[in-house]
Amino acid sequence: MMARSRLSPHWIVLGLLALAIVVVPNPIALAAPVEQHFRIEASAFQYTPEAIHVNPGDHVTLDLVSTDVVHGLYLDGYDLNVTADPGQTATLFFTADRAGSFRFRCSVTCGALHPFMIGKLNVGSNDLFWRAIGLGALAVVAGVWVMRPKGDRQ
Amino acid sequence: MMPIELTRNRFVKATLRARWPQFVIRAIALAGFLFAILSGLIGTPVGNHNFSIVFVWIVWWALLMLIVVPFLGRGWCAICPIPMPGEWLQNGALLKPHGKGLSLNRKWPRRFRNIWMQNIAFTLLALFSAVVLTRPSITGLVLLLFLIVALVTSLIFERRAFCRYLCPVGGFIGLYSQVAPVEVRVKDPAVCAVHTEKSCYTGSQDGYGCPWLVYPGTLTKNINCGLCLECLRTCTQDNVAFNLRSFGADLKQPSGRKLDEAFKAFIMLGAALIYSAVMLGPWGALKSAAYAIGTPQWLVYALTLLGLIYVILPGTFLIAVALGRKLTHSKETLKKSFVAFAYALVPLGLMAWIAFSLSFVFASLSYLWPTLSDPLGWGWNLFSTANVAWQPYLMSIVPFLQAGVLIGGLLWACVTARRISAEQQQGRNITLQALPVMGFCFVITGGLMGLLIG
Amino acid sequence: MKAERFALLFVIVLVIGVPLVAVLARSTSDTIEMHAQMADNGGWTPSNLTTQVGQPLHLRLTSDDVVHGFAVGQSIIPPVDVLPGQWTTTTLVFDQPGKYTFYCTRWCGPNHWRMRGTIEVTGTTSETITTTPPLYVTLNLDLDAPHPSEVVPDEKPSAIRGAALSVKRDRAAELDRTQSPAQLWQALKAAPETAALTDQQIWDLIAWTYRSRTTPERLAEGRQLYQQNCAACHGETGQGDGVIAPSLMKTPMPGMTMTGHETVAPINFMDAKNMLGASDAILEGKIIRGGMGTGMPYWGPIFTPAQIQALIDYLWTFQFGQ
Repeated sequence: MMARSRLSPHWIVLGLLALAIVVVPNPIALAAPVEQHFRIEASAFQYTPEAIHVNPGDHVTLDLVSTDVVHGLYLDGYDLNVTADPGQTATLFFTADRAGSFRFRCSVTCGALHPFMIGKLNVGSNDLFWRAIGLGALAVVAGVWVMRPKGDRQ
Repeated sequence: MMPIELTRNRFVKATLRARWPQFVIRAIALAGFLFAILSGLIGTPVGNHNFSIVFVWIVWWALLMLIVVPFLGRGWCAICPIPMPGEWLQNGALLKPHGKGLSLNRKWPRRFRNIWMQNIAFTLLALFSAVVLTRPSITGLVLLLFLIVALVTSLIFERRAFCRYLCPVGGFIGLYSQVAPVEVRVKDPAVCAVHTEKSCYTGSQDGYGCPWLVYPGTLTKNINCGLCLECLRTCTQDNVAFNLRSFGADLKQPSGRKLDEAFKAFIMLGAALIYSAVMLGPWGALKSAAYAIGTPQWLVYALTLLGLIYVILPGTFLIAVALGRKLTHSKETLKKSFVAFAYALVPLGLMAWIAFSLSFVFASLSYLWPTLSDPLGWGWNLFSTANVAWQPYLMSIVPFLQAGVLIGGLLWACVTARRISAEQQQGRNITLQALPVMGFCFVITGGLMGLLIG
Repeated sequence: MKAERFALLFVIVLVIGVPLVAVLARSTSDTIEMHAQMADNGGWTPSNLTTQVGQPLHLRLTSDDVVHGFAVGQSIIPPVDVLPGQWTTTTLVFDQPGKYTFYCTRWCGPNHWRMRGTIEVTGTTSETITTTPPLYVTLNLDLDAPHPSEVVPDEKPSAIRGAALSVKRDRAAELDRTQSPAQLWQALKAAPETAALTDQQIWDLIAWTYRSRTTPERLAEGRQLYQQNCAACHGETGQGDGVIAPSLMKTPMPGMTMTGHETVAPINFMDAKNMLGASDAILEGKIIRGGMGTGMPYWGPIFTPAQIQALIDYLWTFQFGQ
């Protein structure tokens, strides 16, 4: 009986809002796929540039140029891996068919901070991030509006 | 939810009261700990192939932050090997009490009966973390230092003073153990009130007086209870229970909130932010600065860390709390409100650490396989996994998990802030007073989201 | 009390036994354990080995920092990768006595090439090997003297265009290794049979000459040697702009005295004025002897004469196109 009365309109509204935040399509129009060419320099423990941006569907060529010791590049989400010696540029070619923000990380032990050598590939807009921010805002609303401690309901 | 008394089950109770299971686990943990020290000192200097780095900072950390602290609170402290040698000397025994031990058994100085020393110890560790986390020899030395300090402390002071007042890890485990769904509590305080022997604190032939310097009869929070289960063994009245309870139950306790614990919440939140930026961010200069101890760059890193933890975060939070009080004309003192609301940061901070650990742990977990086969990096191949290649796990899913964890933490923090506000306010003012604190939590969460999944 | 003793035994066995077994289990075979570190941190440990002709040398190699590689200069023993925290084994057998140099094969920083060590092989052998000293030694060439070409082509000389010329002959056989392309150009310009050619046509003819004296296989070998050993400084396209170049000093100012401790900017192989004035003998000399403190390593103990010639053939492709 108590449990039933808890399913107040508040919850329904919040639930619908949360659903909307999760599923509402991204209003930003997609650009037509193009060829993109990047040169990423890898040094201990930095990729330069540290972040690159492409549009979904782009055909991406990544030239990995190691400038001190052997480095690698493993791309999260795409599960791609490449290794480059200094003086021997390695190339990764892929179609950016998954949207979102993906970390790439060094795949060849290159010194003490190797596990933290990280860069970013942004494909289109980072929907996960914006939806998470939206849900976070909704969490604040829920905290204010619905999830009141007992004895606090007027 | 009412706590469920797990010790009502005979088997559970017997297992928890028995000494051997806990002793065996601790002894194995001690062997592992000593092996980690040895491996750090004489094993390969390559961190991701050394037992000390892989088992302490990846495997242990993953178990601790993703499983033990959220679900068992101080469960780690219950089996922690670090204070063991000292405890054995103190007790003069490995198992049950008998005879005399070796310790001056001094009382811990009154002015240090707080967790400020733990706060400082953790901050120091954070300042040097880029080196400690990656260099086996430094990890080995730090672990050895833990062992020595714990041993010396127990030879001078009574009980587990090291754990209670010095251990940098114990400090935050204690803070976050408030959200864990388990607790040791007395069943009926009235029984304790008339029980004059207080064997739970003084000890009996069945067990030691509370090693954590806590009187179980008035225990209301997990923070200082090490789950060592001695009181379960020493209570002659069968009045101590091991309970399953709702998550975050301790946060509903208005009493016993302290400034040192409030600052622990800021330290942990600030450290989560800094680590997310330094270790998981794409900025190599930050990483190098954190690593190059003693250089001007490192000094900037150190001052930024200290500034964020001790000034910027508490300062901003203080403004948020003051604003809420102003809006609602609160009659509480500012300090009391500040300390009380800081407990809303406990679930936020824990979830931030879980989110941070998720990506770090799953990216590096595959180092476990070669290290299992060749823990010292000497070329062994015990389980034929010495040459398993590095491969990040679940990297497509982890960002979604992180988002979910951070959103959950924010919601939890907001609800907690509201509940804390309700202790002081009525009606509309409850929300109004908590609102700036919620705003603070939202901004922090947004920042973490930007660093971890942005 | 019995339980207490048992507990103590349990702890002692675990706490002392596990590390003890670990330490005792450390292999004590006749295998030599070799650690690799960047040259700045000590390079190879040990860095000097001795053995006898025909006596195999068993090595276990690991890296203590980054990726390295192990190879023995002027030998056919296949190189192996030396990876951080992992172990590689290799066995070396020598059939000639002498002093061999082992070296790192994977670039590991500006001082990568300093990561070398020696193997002293003693003993006798039935066959005697006579080595001829390189041309720069017999001719007593000054390798450090500037050798600018007074003439340069307007566009990159092309071997295909050169091949199409009616006057072409099998000049590859008569290519003088002490002569620079610039000197050859002057000679052809003066020779009656080629006097009718334009300046560029003479360059094309020279390009064809250099190209036709080598083989695609040799060029491929030279290219691989270049990429692995030279490109980090001289650049993948030969322009002297390799990734290590910024850490080497820029071209020295005029009038500056070299102390032998300053490094200089790597040579640009695309620079026609400089390259076309060099001869095979000079290039060979520079590769063998190195830059004497300029940062250019000495490859004498590393490359075989055939490898050096393959490398030189490849270097000419930066000037002479197809």
